[in-house]
Amino acid sequence: MIGCGNPEAGDDAVGLLVVRAARPRLEKLPGVEVVEAGPALNVVHLLEGVDGAVVVDAVRTPRGGRAVGTVIRIEAGPEGLPADLGASLSSHGFGLAEAIGLVAVLHEAPRVVVLGVEVSDVTAGHALSAPVAVVLPDLVERLVTEVEELRKDSPRP
Amino acid sequence: MTHRSVEVPVIARVEGEGALHITARDGEILDLRLEIYEPPRFFEAFLQGRSYAEVPDIVPRICGICPVAYQMSAIHGLERLFGVEVSPGTRELRRLLYCGEWIESHILHIFLLAAPDFLGYPNAIAMAKDHPELVRTALDIKRIGNDIMELIGGREIHPVSPRVGGFSRAARRRDLEPLLPRLEWALSEMPAIADVVASLPRPLLPREVEMVSMVNPDEYPINEGDLASTAGRRFDAATFEAVSREEHVAHSNALHSLMADTGTPYFVGPLARVNLNAERLTPVAKEVARRAGLSVPETDPFFSMAARAAEATLAIEESIRLIQAYVPPEPPMAEVVPRAGRATWVTEAPRGILYHRYDVGEDGTILEAKIVPPTSQNLRHMEEDLRNFVPGVLDRPDEELRRLCEMVVRNYDPCISCATHFLTLDIERR
Repeated sequence: MIGCGNPEAGDDAVGLLVVRAARPRLEKLPGVEVVEAGPALNVVHLLEGVDGAVVVDAVRTPRGGRAVGTVIRIEAGPEGLPADLGASLSSHGFGLAEAIGLVAVLHEAPRVVVLGVEVSDVTAGHALSAPVAVVLPDLVERLVTEVEELRKDSPRP
Repeated sequence: MTHRSVEVPVIARVEGEGALHITARDGEILDLRLEIYEPPRFFEAFLQGRSYAEVPDIVPRICGICPVAYQMSAIHGLERLFGVEVSPGTRELRRLLYCGEWIESHILHIFLLAAPDFLGYPNAIAMAKDHPELVRTALDIKRIGNDIMELIGGREIHPVSPRVGGFSRAARRRDLEPLLPRLEWALSEMPAIADVVASLPRPLLPREVEMVSMVNPDEYPINEGDLASTAGRRFDAATFEAVSREEHVAHSNALHSLMADTGTPYFVGPLARVNLNAERLTPVAKEVARRAGLSVPETDPFFSMAARAAEATLAIEESIRLIQAYVPPEPPMAEVVPRAGRATWVTEAPRGILYHRYDVGEDGTILEAKIVPPTSQNLRHMEEDLRNFVPGVLDRPDEELRRLCEMVVRNYDPCISCATHFLTLDIERR
């Protein structure tokens, strides 16, 4: 399970906030590790040698089209993430999509489920926008469910 | 089974965060503007009214890639103002921590951000498909840098142990020693990496420019030293704002740094450092610079990758030396008594000199903060690079032109959060 974001940049914090809220419940589950990573590239190191991961991140459709607060679920395949989501996740040179894609190329890729939250305001210093704040509790539930599902399907008990 | 929950602070992924506007007619540039988003402005305001002791926890949030640089410029500046003398162990541990950041940042840039550009791949994933061993080696070296930062700074998103006065908790010898064989392995890989860098097809962008970096007679500068330039300037961080002035650029939020007296741009970063400190490179770093094709003086910014390879090597060699000689500082914290005044300092972030200034009240409250990151100091120079570069490639299709322009900008390794790697290209052909 992976949560992404910048705590000081409005809606971009959503991944962090969800992970923090779910942490007390997830840490009780055997085999689940809660790690706070640095920039997206560190996800490469963190995905090495795990069976599965759930990722929560702020996303933005390149040309709009999804309402703010919409949660999308997507599973990374052998080639990483689908290109359309990749574009929305990584307007920087190296974002989450590239990190997952790189693991898929270099290692035996673990199962990776991405929960993306469509965001609006990601200005440094701004607070979470109302449509994103409203979906937080549901998102925490979904995240816990996803992690439990992933554990069930895992080859190792 | 192992599931992991990972939190990744990546600064806002916003289209338009970095934008390049070009207006051209008959192959001639009429207007060219590079805009890059700059979060430090927000943090300068955010720091006002905070205690000096909070500064090391706030400033690393400016950048996910170089949090140590922000902490080190702030901490050293405040310690100078307060007259704090730290122990040699603290000094060495700080240098080691910063070496970790250099290793991580430089290797990341060489292999995952720049090399795909030079080789014509759309991204690092495509490159990794053709060169998996090379990318694996790069990631393994980069990870050593991460681990140094984590062992010294803590496992949180940003390093939490560095304080004004020292460290809240000093790393133990037995925690650092396991890094030695990995560092020795990384060092053995660097000459071959230099050969890879030398083999990359490299555009040429030779030009006259004043380069600025720190200098230190005793060591390759990272945390401590005077400022110097290839035009013969020599100054202290205390006079930084008199030497370099920031200019508001019309139609852009960005500030451009210029030399105050001549009004000309300057260039900071690894290539500037190597030019001004070549003789203080460590032995293998010198060999790597030579094999990567870099000899000083060299002002072509496309040699920055070779300079990064040399400096990553230096950081590896320094890490080995520092760990072998490490004696934990005891106590890890010196006594700190705040006093009113102006704190200034510069350190060498992976991308170049990072200036901090704090005006501090008697009780240690921050009254005003000023942060000038390397990326904004290079901004005008980047624009001039593009002005020189674009006319020669203006006949290419928009998509290729965008890729080439991104390559010019990305070559500076603009800070991922102080800047952006994504360019919106807006070209008007008349």
